[in-house]
Amino acid sequence: MQQVLEQCEQIVTDLSLASVRRWKEQHPGGKAIGYFPVYAPAELIHACGMLPVGLNGAGDRLDLQHADARFGSFICSIVKTTMEMGMTGHLQPLDGLLFSSICDSARNLCFVMKRNFPQMYVDFLHLPHNPASHASVDFLRSEYQRLMLSLEVLGGEAPAQGALEHSIALYNRQRGLIRRLSDMRSERPHLLPASELYLLVRAGAFLPVEEHIALLDRALEALPDRAAKPRDNIRVIVEGAFCEQPPLDLIRLMEQAGCYIVDDDFVLGQKWFRQDVTPDGDALGALAESYVEHSVYSSVRHDFRRPRFQGLIEKVRRHRAQAVIFLIAKFCEPAYFDYVLFKRELENIALPHLLLEFEEKMFTFERLRTEVETFVESLLFD
Amino acid sequence: MTQPKSTEYRGQIHQRQKELMLKWYQRLDSSAHTGLPPSVSLMISGNCVELLEAFDAVPLYPEINALQLAIRHQSLEPILAAEELGYAADNCAYVKADIGSYLKGITPTGGKLPRPSLVLCNFVGCNTYVKWFEHVAALTGSRLYVLDVPFCREAEPSPADIAYVVKQLQELVSVLENITGKKFDYDRFREAVRCAAEVEELWSRIKHLARRSPSPFDAYFDAITLMGPLYVYRGSPEGVAFFRAALNELEEKVANGEGVYEQEKFRLVMEGPPPYPYFRTFRDMFAKWKATAVASTYSTVGGLWEFGDRHDPDHPFESVALHMLSQNVTNRNFLQRYDQIQRYVEEWQADGVIIHFVKSCRLFSAGQGDMRDYFTKSLHLPTLYIESDLEDPRYFSEAQIRNRIDAFFEALEHSKLTGAAHPAASA
Amino acid sequence: MRVAAGVDVGSTQTKAILMEENARPQIMARALVDTGANVRKAAEHAFHVLCQEAGIHAHDVGFVVGTGYGRYNISFGNAQMTEISCHARGAHFVFPNTRTVIDMGGQDSKAISVGASGEVLDFVMNDKCAAGTGRFLANAAEVMGIRLDEVGPLSLQALQPVKITTVCTVFVESDILSYLAQGKKGEDILGGVHQAIAKRTVSLARRVPIEPAITLTGGVARNIGMVRALEDVLGAQLQVSPDAHFIGAIGAAIFALEKLDRSFESDIWSPEHAPHGRN
Repeated sequence: MQQVLEQCEQIVTDLSLASVRRWKEQHPGGKAIGYFPVYAPAELIHACGMLPVGLNGAGDRLDLQHADARFGSFICSIVKTTMEMGMTGHLQPLDGLLFSSICDSARNLCFVMKRNFPQMYVDFLHLPHNPASHASVDFLRSEYQRLMLSLEVLGGEAPAQGALEHSIALYNRQRGLIRRLSDMRSERPHLLPASELYLLVRAGAFLPVEEHIALLDRALEALPDRAAKPRDNIRVIVEGAFCEQPPLDLIRLMEQAGCYIVDDDFVLGQKWFRQDVTPDGDALGALAESYVEHSVYSSVRHDFRRPRFQGLIEKVRRHRAQAVIFLIAKFCEPAYFDYVLFKRELENIALPHLLLEFEEKMFTFERLRTEVETFVESLLFD
Repeated sequence: MTQPKSTEYRGQIHQRQKELMLKWYQRLDSSAHTGLPPSVSLMISGNCVELLEAFDAVPLYPEINALQLAIRHQSLEPILAAEELGYAADNCAYVKADIGSYLKGITPTGGKLPRPSLVLCNFVGCNTYVKWFEHVAALTGSRLYVLDVPFCREAEPSPADIAYVVKQLQELVSVLENITGKKFDYDRFREAVRCAAEVEELWSRIKHLARRSPSPFDAYFDAITLMGPLYVYRGSPEGVAFFRAALNELEEKVANGEGVYEQEKFRLVMEGPPPYPYFRTFRDMFAKWKATAVASTYSTVGGLWEFGDRHDPDHPFESVALHMLSQNVTNRNFLQRYDQIQRYVEEWQADGVIIHFVKSCRLFSAGQGDMRDYFTKSLHLPTLYIESDLEDPRYFSEAQIRNRIDAFFEALEHSKLTGAAHPAASA
Repeated sequence: MRVAAGVDVGSTQTKAILMEENARPQIMARALVDTGANVRKAAEHAFHVLCQEAGIHAHDVGFVVGTGYGRYNISFGNAQMTEISCHARGAHFVFPNTRTVIDMGGQDSKAISVGASGEVLDFVMNDKCAAGTGRFLANAAEVMGIRLDEVGPLSLQALQPVKITTVCTVFVESDILSYLAQGKKGEDILGGVHQAIAKRTVSLARRVPIEPAITLTGGVARNIGMVRALEDVLGAQLQVSPDAHFIGAIGAAIFALEKLDRSFESDIWSPEHAPHGRN
């Protein structure tokens, strides 16, 4: 298990995208398509014989020397580090970049990158924001069709018969494994700290899905045999870090300070569906329908049939959480907006909550540690 | 002693615009007290006011509410109230001012604003629009409909994009019937679309008058002042009458060779919203240099018509959909805005571009550094980059902004006076 | 013989330059005083010292151009120019091959792309916060109990510069204290501080085209540690004049000479002119 985790940490912190380069060596002529948070239909990319790569910023591993000039103040770090990665050649193994309608800054980033990296295939997916409309599934299906055609042109060949069904089956399996690990973490958090689950899940952004499935299988096997004693920690939900990612040490710090993070929205895109995608005949349509009907709630997707602030309350109840920690990236507009309504709902049920602001490039956490410890103390010694 | 020359356009049309907007506020006040006419909250960019016109519903524009508060120096109090509720320092101040004004019962005119029968979010690029209206719906308990308009990610909207929007517009018709208790009047709708097409033709001709030298109006400051009737009255005969009168008045100025200042020294393209709490001060910073805006991107949030697009009464649903999809600046992508500005510089003969970065609005501002890079390095256009906010009065450093503007014009003036084309402007 | 003056009223210091023109412009005298709380008085004092230095009377000076943040408060000024224009001109006068100016002042920093005649082609300013300015260094020096003029040389002795990522002048103090508590050496901490400032400044400067030759101006240019750190990050050599902090005043004086020469037509606004307009 330790070995698996070390391998994951290595993959996740590697700016050179070595795992992507390795895949390309093994698949000459193969294309790698990077996608910006939060969700991307990785199945489509996979069905076209390409490698989907989840981008999540450069953490504290890249100094902003060029991107600042293009984006200015009051813009979140992940937009800038992604641009910086492009400007310093770190995205060289990727043949394409996919963005989607998550927020205004990310959308502009897509087109700025399109201009600056004309050799890459850069595209923007319009994911629907009116799921209540009967027309939205058809629309998304046509959008996915458009993406597949573009990928075909890029890759030079159309996907084989049944390829999409096969890809969907694989990703269902991957998501199923992630669900099982998440359930285990919630039921027996002492066996699987959130920071470790994070590594296991996020490694999937860089590995071929087949390899990731094998890795998750190994982890699941090893887990029950771990020797770890339950501690007197408070059960918390972490909400708000679905795009720019907190430093790993920050997640570890929160747990060291006395929290069991029983659920979170880190790398949310990889846990996007609440149930398996079932391709009955029309696989593309099934994928589109799953997005409209079976997505988890998220700050980047509008669905007032099941408002996300109600979704948070359900999540709290399902995981028997005692508190919510809002972990929000500096300048993240969607998260900060949602905080207001989330907070209101939590106050209605008198559930304690804490707001913490972070930046991916932090590497000292004294102030945050104090805040979390104070919060935990206030809950334990009530 | 001579009277100082006025630095803003003040003709009859300015007065007429005020009257029309006041009348609109009165309709809203009536709606607040009696429930009639039914009111629908709507976003300015890519709005489908023609559909509301068909139901005799009055549009309620929270953005106008916010900017009016800022212009009257009333925006800080509601912003603070919103921040107390939990909104962040970095959330869009338009939203904070609007929500805060609702919480505190502050309105720009002192009249009442109605609780909308429908909160209609026309999602045209701006993700903040969606959050804004989710919050309005959650706070007021009003019904919410998010009309999802696919973003301009390719050169033109696709048939699938258009079909999707048209289907939602048709769903919206049922919703409006339900709310207003009226049957949809297709002829009324077509007539509203026809009025819109006429208004657009007039507004486009007005915009084109700025190609003259001197331009008879400032296509940023004056255009913004004249924009209100564009959103509220576009689908009505009153809108047509207003813009016809505006065009006449401005054509007369052109005939007399009248510009905004006694001498038009510099012609500019302006990018970005204005700092509403300091509208007058900001204008004076450019007036000092006798610099007239001949085009602006912000004045096309409500619709981009100077390049020939129009509503089409023969295909009302489809043309409303097209307008929402690609004929407003917010649903068009960032690179399309570069092209728009470049076109203005070339066809409207501008000396330079002013990029005004506003903290609140990432749709406009995120990536303007790249825009600047493109204009200066690839197009060799004199470009000035300044920063403040569109709504929050706390983010305006007057001395520093003035300094940058002065430095820019010093250089531009120098290059004009020495006869050489600006070294960076050689094309 | 024509004589003109440039007065640069900065936040901490006021600089004045007297220039004469026979065949070519030449600096006759320099004056440097603390600005203090009264900007008007500081400008007058600097001008007085300047004239004394040169041994001439105030009325012998044909034209005075004021610049800097206090430029509208110069009672005896004939015109004002922004410090951006003046820094470009001044740097070009001292080093005619200047194509980029990086100016690090007391409370702001800027980068200017300069044309062949010393004209401003493009510029960028950081005036929102003090990171990348003299204030950042001054704070660091104070926290460490070191004299400001020692920080530069000391920083050059760093073998393992510490990592400083905060961009806030206030927060860097706690970072420094934390490093001191960890037993880090003074020179390593200062090395890290200089590196952080250099990176920040260059990141800002990259918004304009950076072409050689690059001239560094402003008070911070006297700090050898800063010069080296900037050269490191830029990957290029910097030109620094002994008159680095007078560059703004030099540029203003050059403009003053020009206006004297050509009765330069321009609508430069000044407090005396505003009520009547220039119609």
